[in-house]
Amino acid sequence: MEAYVGYFLYLLSLLTVGGIYAIFALGLNVQWGFAGLFNVGIVGFAAVGAYTYALLTTAESTFHLGGFGLPLPIGMFVGMVMSAIVAAFIGLICIRLRADYLAIATIGIAEIIKLILKNETDITNGPRGVNKIPRMWEHFSEERFYSSWPMSWFGTPENWEAFFDKLPNWYWQPLFAATILLIMYVIYRMLERARTAPWGRMMTAIRENEPAARASGKDVTRRRIEAFVIGAAIMGLAGALFAQHLRLIEPTNTFDPAKVTFLTWVMLILGGSGNNRGAILGAFLIWTIWSASELVITGSIGLISNIFSTLDPSILQTRAGFLRMMLIGILMQVILQRYPSGILPEVRPASPKADNNDAGSTGETK
Amino acid sequence: MKNTLMATAATLLATSAMADVNIGNPMAMTGPIPDLNAPIAAAVDLAAANVNAQGGMFADGEAFNVIRADSACDPVAAVDAVTKLINVNGVSAIVGPVCSGATIAQAESVSMPAGVVTLSVSASSPAITSMEDGTDLVFRAAASDAYQGVALAELAIANGMSDIAVSYANDDYNAAIAAVFVEAFEGMGGTISANEAHEPNKASYRSEVATIGASSENLALFSYYGSGGITLMRNALETGAFANFIGADGMLSDELIEQLGAENLMTSTFTTSASDSSTPSFAAWQAIADEAGVPAADPFVANGYDATFMMALAIEHAGSDDREAIAESLRAIASGPGEVILPGQWAEAKAILAAGGDINYEGAAGNQDFDENGDVAGNFSKSTIVDGAWAAELIQ
Amino acid sequence: MWEFVNYYFIPGLVLGCIYALGAIGITLTFGILRFANFAHGEIMMSGAYLTWTVMAIAAGAGLTLHPLVAMVPAAFLVILLFLGTDKFFYKPFRKEDTIKVVMASFGMMLIIRSAVQMIWGPNQITFVRGIAKPNATLSEITSNMGLQILMPNKHLFIFAGTIILVMALGYLLNRTRIGKAMRAVSDSPDLAHVTGINVDKVINATWIVGGICATAAGVFLVMDTQMLETTMGFRMLLPMFAAAILGGIGKPYGAVAGGLIIGLAEELSAYPWIGDTPLLSPGYKTGVAFAIMVVMLIVRPQGLFKGRSF
Repeated sequence: MEAYVGYFLYLLSLLTVGGIYAIFALGLNVQWGFAGLFNVGIVGFAAVGAYTYALLTTAESTFHLGGFGLPLPIGMFVGMVMSAIVAAFIGLICIRLRADYLAIATIGIAEIIKLILKNETDITNGPRGVNKIPRMWEHFSEERFYSSWPMSWFGTPENWEAFFDKLPNWYWQPLFAATILLIMYVIYRMLERARTAPWGRMMTAIRENEPAARASGKDVTRRRIEAFVIGAAIMGLAGALFAQHLRLIEPTNTFDPAKVTFLTWVMLILGGSGNNRGAILGAFLIWTIWSASELVITGSIGLISNIFSTLDPSILQTRAGFLRMMLIGILMQVILQRYPSGILPEVRPASPKADNNDAGSTGETK
Repeated sequence: MKNTLMATAATLLATSAMADVNIGNPMAMTGPIPDLNAPIAAAVDLAAANVNAQGGMFADGEAFNVIRADSACDPVAAVDAVTKLINVNGVSAIVGPVCSGATIAQAESVSMPAGVVTLSVSASSPAITSMEDGTDLVFRAAASDAYQGVALAELAIANGMSDIAVSYANDDYNAAIAAVFVEAFEGMGGTISANEAHEPNKASYRSEVATIGASSENLALFSYYGSGGITLMRNALETGAFANFIGADGMLSDELIEQLGAENLMTSTFTTSASDSSTPSFAAWQAIADEAGVPAADPFVANGYDATFMMALAIEHAGSDDREAIAESLRAIASGPGEVILPGQWAEAKAILAAGGDINYEGAAGNQDFDENGDVAGNFSKSTIVDGAWAAELIQ
Repeated sequence: MWEFVNYYFIPGLVLGCIYALGAIGITLTFGILRFANFAHGEIMMSGAYLTWTVMAIAAGAGLTLHPLVAMVPAAFLVILLFLGTDKFFYKPFRKEDTIKVVMASFGMMLIIRSAVQMIWGPNQITFVRGIAKPNATLSEITSNMGLQILMPNKHLFIFAGTIILVMALGYLLNRTRIGKAMRAVSDSPDLAHVTGINVDKVINATWIVGGICATAAGVFLVMDTQMLETTMGFRMLLPMFAAAILGGIGKPYGAVAGGLIIGLAEELSAYPWIGDTPLLSPGYKTGVAFAIMVVMLIVRPQGLFKGRSF
């Protein structure tokens, strides 16, 4: 019986992290799938959102700036806004760059953001990071929350304490996963509406044929900045959720470009760029493969070292970790070459001629 | 489909080892410090091998399995790895994460909410001391930097350094210990002539070395030898900017001798948690480690052995591998009263526990008595080059 | 004064030479194949590992090879690696969106790095033991001239190697048919095509030149740091991009100048220009290259040498 609770909780953690990555992928889809902006600085926006959320919502601390103890939704909202502001600033100066240049610029800016977080020790506690970040639902069982309003209206601290003692210690986990999935769904619905609205069709037009869009009087630069900022705001929100999931963030390893930026890109490409449902599907699929592959690899090492007793299992273990990264890289190459439009290819927003004239959406040229 | 397959595979893996005692061991095989990690992992395996060779767990000699995962020194990977260890592999306890950031993240995010004990092998951040609030689930077998930084400052003063330049790698471990050192050194009347961070893993540190080298001929270097520490030291030696070097255990490794040559390290002193062969515990450990080919005096290797061995003792003491009882047992076996147990004495400890007696484990890296925060006070030793190899000497 | 030259300026130039050689490959790929090759740093790293392996094998046979000699067979292998990745991973996208091939190179970066980590292990490997003291003859000669230049032999090798390679490259690009063809394709691919230049041949030549320079850059880097580790390629990548962009895409000499400027800027940023403290906290040293790169992209995307601007 116990074991099934464990599997259930692992499944929930897959949904939680998969959901967070899905939100990253949706944000990236606005930038890349809709507007064709090659942003390789996802970690930068994630870090801005995560740090803003962390500093605003943690209890007062001597390690870093504040710990302002604000309510969680405010922290998440401000995280989004901060990420959007940073994106607007970057967008104003970089958006006119051609794709690879934008990629190089965003990767550089993301590294600069990380360096700032690492070196401005008074504000961020530098490389030691911010910890005790409150996590949705779980935070209710922290004393500073149940002893203040609004929770104190409904019961005394003692009552609350007794109430939380009665719950299983993982009570928050399904609620947290469900909230993330809900947020993901809301963003998905909003993006679907935007995609089929005139705004979305205009984005497609700009991406596919910029001179024509420009000639028909569209403000291309402005639209692009809009897409960049909206995408970054979504990434900032995902960053705030990421911070809640981890409960400790630090600049160097948490925001590793290979694991945040690159994984998100693989997710979007696998799922199908331009397709919001594809982004979500890709995120869950890749995260599950990424996370579960460790179990499989660890298991097979045991097996291999049982069969070939001359091999030193510790060397296998040390090196097998790298096999995962390599497999993800190879998977991406296969997808790029064999299934260039992903599992769920882009569907053009309702346009009567779309069906018979569908070539050319992000590299479907056969 | 894929999910189902994975889940089935996972179930098979988990159930095959169900009858044994399993502990989770998230190490940092990938990530920034694979060099540091490899000997620690070897020490963990060695401890488990000792346990299994001397009668295993409980009366019926169940196997003591260490299930390894990769925390990559990274909160994201650590949280994911420990989630799997606890929920899928169903481990009884975590002996583990190498880096402080990964330890805190996995504890706050996964293991504390799940009520699983974590015993870290090398997390030394002072933040871990104040992490828990009403629970008793996080322990560590390595002393907090709050102790080692002070010990190092005392050593610097004792060596007659009245002024010193500080250079630390900008990562969680080194930044923390440097801050403690600076405060302690100034409190003892010393002068910090320069205090600069350096970015780990750069190809050249000549300009950094030259800039801070102008102010003092003593350098306190806080860095991992494997991620820039050796390069910085090489640059400092090549330019002759500094005459004397001191540092903490991140720098202490045979790799330093291998790369720089012992003749160039005659003026270097590095502290580490007690690795002094005059204590019987360390002598016992050294004998075991030498036989197994594990570098006994490398950073945190002794701590890795201690942590694993203590976890096995605690589970044996608790009499079952239930998660709840372990924390209390861990305290019971680590400190007095009781018969003193040295590294490797599993059969003796097992016999005493079976007879209902008390034991007190005296570890390779110190006495390993936990205080109320689950911290150990460190004994520290200083290592200098004698006859081309590191020789440790206990400092008080 | 001499402290400045010996501890800031010369190290800056050494770093600059390494960046410059790496940036040559990047700028040529960017100019001729029209994509930013993210795998270039890893190729450089694998070149250094291969050189080390060649030296280790030779040592096993009782031969002590100088890295500059062991580099030659390693460079052949790197060229094969380059041509192989091009054939299997980049060529399929030649007629498609640039973005695809950039992503493919991003994937190659991870694949190559993981492969090296699996084959050689993630631990550091000693390349040359000990520390390098300044060359005594050089300091004697210079002090007779009233100068105090302190340079270890390894830096003399790096300077000499870089100068020879850049001169050879100059000869290739200006005097040989294939070199002229490369420049033509870089300047105007359509025109080059019309004039009947064999584009495939030019592409292969690009990989060969890039491979030689990348191997040299990797070997020079490990000669300087005297050790090998697997993330060194990625850490060099962004400064090399910065150098290529600073010099102007498609301009090998621009890349050399860009590399030297970036290398100098990184080292000189820690010089105490004002007062006793470093101008910029060394923690921000890595950021110098990124900042130069971003500013260049915005202010003058064609680079110093009027390279291609897209």
